[in-house]
Amino acid sequence: MTALLKKELKTYFLTPTGWIFMAVFLLISGILFSVQLVFSQSSQYSAYLVSLLFLFLLVVPLLTMRIFTDEKRFRTDQLLLTGPTSLWSIVIGKFLAAFAVFFITIIVTVLYPVLLSFHGTLDWPMIVGTYAGFVLLGASFIAIGVFISQAAEGVVGAAVLTFCALIITFIIDFLRPYMPTSDVAGLVWMIIMMMIPIFWLFRAGKNIPITALTALILAVALAVMWLTGRDLFTGLIGKTLGWLSLTRRFSSFSIGILRFDAILYYLSFTGFFLFLTVQDLEKRRWL
Amino acid sequence: MIRAESLSKQFGRIQAVDDINFHIEKGEIIGFLGPNGAGKSTTMNMITGYLAPSSGRVMVDGIDMVESPEEAKKRIGYLPEQPPLYLDLTVDEYLNFITEFKKVPKSRRSADLDAIRQLVKIGDVRSRLIKNLSKGYRQRVGLAQALVGNPPLLILDEPTVGLDPKQIIEIRELIRDLGKEHTVVLSSHILPEISATCRRILIIDKGIIVASDTPENLSRRLSGATRLHLLVKGPVESVRTSLESISDVESLSVSTGPEDGVAEAVLEASGAKDLRESTFRSMADADLPILQMRPMDLSLEDIFLNLTTQEEAVN
Repeated sequence: MTALLKKELKTYFLTPTGWIFMAVFLLISGILFSVQLVFSQSSQYSAYLVSLLFLFLLVVPLLTMRIFTDEKRFRTDQLLLTGPTSLWSIVIGKFLAAFAVFFITIIVTVLYPVLLSFHGTLDWPMIVGTYAGFVLLGASFIAIGVFISQAAEGVVGAAVLTFCALIITFIIDFLRPYMPTSDVAGLVWMIIMMMIPIFWLFRAGKNIPITALTALILAVALAVMWLTGRDLFTGLIGKTLGWLSLTRRFSSFSIGILRFDAILYYLSFTGFFLFLTVQDLEKRRWL
Repeated sequence: MIRAESLSKQFGRIQAVDDINFHIEKGEIIGFLGPNGAGKSTTMNMITGYLAPSSGRVMVDGIDMVESPEEAKKRIGYLPEQPPLYLDLTVDEYLNFITEFKKVPKSRRSADLDAIRQLVKIGDVRSRLIKNLSKGYRQRVGLAQALVGNPPLLILDEPTVGLDPKQIIEIRELIRDLGKEHTVVLSSHILPEISATCRRILIIDKGIIVASDTPENLSRRLSGATRLHLLVKGPVESVRTSLESISDVESLSVSTGPEDGVAEAVLEASGAKDLRESTFRSMADADLPILQMRPMDLSLEDIFLNLTTQEEAVN
């Protein structure tokens, strides 16, 4: 894992990728810093950091688009997958390298509040909290990018898909209030959600009895839930979308509160996408 | 060293490898021979754990590839058809990464790399970027990669493809040297490639093994009849009558030769009889000078074609 991590980090800075990532991030954040804080003589640093969130949309695809697509393109995946390492250590090594580039860039921006502190008082707990949220959110976005670069075929495809996926996580929060809230809509939504694992199970095993049995068990469970606790289904679409909304949980960080459940949420979100990446790597061996 | 048990691989509806069984002993140099798309690479990818078999299993040194892949992979050095190189790194950076990746103990790393660089002769390009190297050098760096960690089993997929004749000879010699200490499996769709280095050949076609033997045995097995090719000065008809008088000739064809007044004949003996002497005597008796006499043993190339092509496809 460390071997791959070192190699990946080296490649980021031997090729333009790492530099472009840092340059774009620091240039835009620098411009916004000057405009929002320096010129207007404001010390609302954590508000400024929140306004930087949209930058993730532009730079995360840059950082992650090549991670697995290039391995496939140059057939170097054959080297990684036939080496004496587990799939997990390959995925984590690559993820950590991308995360490290992101982290180094974030560290550079710490200069900004330090500069500000010479000219006024800053709310440091809030700044630290926002940074913590920033790093966790970044990890989640990078994990999405890692997964997409494994699942997509080309570099461009990976970049575009990552961009779209990140946009969805942004707008999901705005869409939430407009979703139907009735319990019937919740039931339909649950049925659709259950179709996904059933379909996946069928694709993976091509085993009709097992698939049918699982579908039956899920249907019975759903029916029981429907009969006993109907109100569970009220507003369910909004709730599930809320689970997917990465930006919603960021707000507690930006007011300086480190909420344990939010930290856990980001970490498990990251872990889940890395898990999906491992699954996809494994699946391709069996195709 | 390798045992493949009813190994199969399907890609969708295509049966790439169909229920093959083979056993490779320690210390063997074995060649997979077959036309393009015969299933050689797929078989190699299954041995090395890159692809999982649809059914059947692979044992490397007694270890099941599916059950404990990391243990099994430690024993294998693999050079895929396209060498897996990171083009943005220099040769040394790349090989250093490989030694770390393959978990070679720190104390052995630099000595190992020195030995490998010397063996595959890449010392003079150590600090060059891989993307600037020629095909021959890239192939050697790929081979160096497979040798890192000194694995007992080397799997080389088309190791000489795209190289110039001099490089091919060098790589062949290198493989023969490596065969002294390693078990080597290599593949090719070109016969001389395999017969020059391997002591045993597995001929694979359409996903099945059609023959497995030493090059000599394969040659003998298929050339039951001894054939002679003749150029004789004289009219076609008299050449034919004299040749027909020789006993043991099973089949005979005589035609006008490439030059004026020269007949061309191909004769085939029954069994393993040698026709050369009796042919000479019969021609001498008829006063027909032999301009050229050439034995026509089936070459491995012919065998390969015989085994892997349908009859109507052979010229």
